[in-house]
Amino acid sequence: MHIEQLYLRNFRNYDSLEMEFNNKINVIIGENAQGKTNLMEAIYLLAFTKSHRTPREKELIQWEKEYAKIEGRITKRNQNFPLEIILSAKGKKAKLNRLEQKRLSDYIGALNVVMFAPEDLTLVKGAPQIRRRFIDMELGQIQPRYIYHLGQYQKILKQRNHLLKQLQRGKSQDRTMLQVITDQLVEHAATLLERRFVFLDLLRKWASPIHHGISRELERLEIKYSPTIEVSEDDNKGKIESIYLNKFHQIQEKEIERGTSLIGPHRDDLLFYVNGKDVQTYGSQGQQRTTALSVKLAEIELIYNEVGEYPILLLDDVLSELDDYRQSHLLHTIQGKVQTFVSTTSVDGINHETLNKAELFRVCNGEVEK
Amino acid sequence: MYYPEPISKLIDSFTKLPGIGPKTAVRLAFFVLNMNEDDVMDFAKALVNAKRELTHCSVCGHITDQDPCSICQDTSRDASIICVVQDPKDVIAMEKMKEFHGKYHVLHGAISPMDGIGPEDINVPDLINRLKDEEVKELILATNPNIEGEATAMYISRLVKPSGVRTTRIAHGLPVGGDLEYADEVTLSKALEGRRDL
Repeated sequence: MHIEQLYLRNFRNYDSLEMEFNNKINVIIGENAQGKTNLMEAIYLLAFTKSHRTPREKELIQWEKEYAKIEGRITKRNQNFPLEIILSAKGKKAKLNRLEQKRLSDYIGALNVVMFAPEDLTLVKGAPQIRRRFIDMELGQIQPRYIYHLGQYQKILKQRNHLLKQLQRGKSQDRTMLQVITDQLVEHAATLLERRFVFLDLLRKWASPIHHGISRELERLEIKYSPTIEVSEDDNKGKIESIYLNKFHQIQEKEIERGTSLIGPHRDDLLFYVNGKDVQTYGSQGQQRTTALSVKLAEIELIYNEVGEYPILLLDDVLSELDDYRQSHLLHTIQGKVQTFVSTTSVDGINHETLNKAELFRVCNGEVEK
Repeated sequence: MYYPEPISKLIDSFTKLPGIGPKTAVRLAFFVLNMNEDDVMDFAKALVNAKRELTHCSVCGHITDQDPCSICQDTSRDASIICVVQDPKDVIAMEKMKEFHGKYHVLHGAISPMDGIGPEDINVPDLINRLKDEEVKELILATNPNIEGEATAMYISRLVKPSGVRTTRIAHGLPVGGDLEYADEVTLSKALEGRRDL
């Protein structure tokens, strides 16, 4: 799939902008603080309805403007359709084919995007919630149904935590209600875990050979899932449910004492190992970067296999940070098949024939010229 | 203030109703000014009477002008089946169907710890008392098919199970007369889960 046109209005530092893209490689060149990442962010927003940089949507609307609009024309499976995101003080509207989609799971998945930005290094060395967010976003875009289960899970979790607080403070004595909510929670928790296991299996399948390649066949990458219960990745949903129920039963008093839910997919983590060593703790900066890159490249292949088309790749300011070998490996992997957006302060230091065929855009203070 | 006090008070009163914003409130208030006096009197009386004369039935919790309500008093109805619903409007919906001849129990809400609503805040204790006093064989749990409604149904069924009363949950799935292809995935998978032998 690829994005043919992008139209922005009152978005960040763009008053009004219309761009047409090459379906191979588009290079966006500009000094710092001219709006390169804003373009990347706009495409990311079209796919996920959320920014990768900020949870505060007001920031996306230009200063003192009522609304911001992003519109993209997408080609996917020989079909051509518009996607729109409209942000205003009243909230956000996501339109697919000009029709508003009220449910997030009806919109996400229409456009698949994989982004690699400097922040992605934190995927390896950052807090667990960054890795959980990674799984949830990536799994969500290939399986919109996952978003529904995640939403239900989060809602029940909130109910359960409130009840645990009430039990902790002695405002309620009702253990039956706790059991009911726990049953509800476990059903969705098991679904989430089962789907995460399937996703990780695929991610490993693609990430290991890619990592091996990028590291000049010197490194072996392993990805481990670290759950809050003792469970095997081959266990089916019924088995996972009963493990959760047992564990919840065991820790019930402790949970009431603490007034919050202590186990569940919202507390799980992903661990990356290179040659048997935990990259988060023992890996070098370079190994962490390679790991993050392998995982992102694996996603491209994973999406191709699940969705049937390559996603759009956004490389925000990262190409120049990779050494020549990794750069050419990356460009070789995507060559010709993935529509790619590259943002950079200069083309010096990026030397590959693929770039010669690219479309160049110069960004200067909210204006773009070819 | 642009309006004389009587009308601005009327506008304020209309704004308190659900779904009515400031502009609609002004429109309605001016409409009332042009209505003839008898109609306005009837309207005002109807408002006051609805509030004064309607109470909740002491047996089932449905809104009524006599206690117990006409459904609870109706001896031709099957007292061995009780249909548990969240809202008086749900009773009306069930009654329109004319297929159900048992009795009702209105909870006035669903259990939601987040909103501070526990079992004792909705009509659950009364329901348990009814099961002790009356000859009930089946409890149909017809709470809404969302997280809170589902939790409420599961909760009641756990409380009731030991007494041996049969508890059932209404089915959810495809709407009748609809097209399969237009059903959303969640509804469709619920319908698939709840499939039955033919």
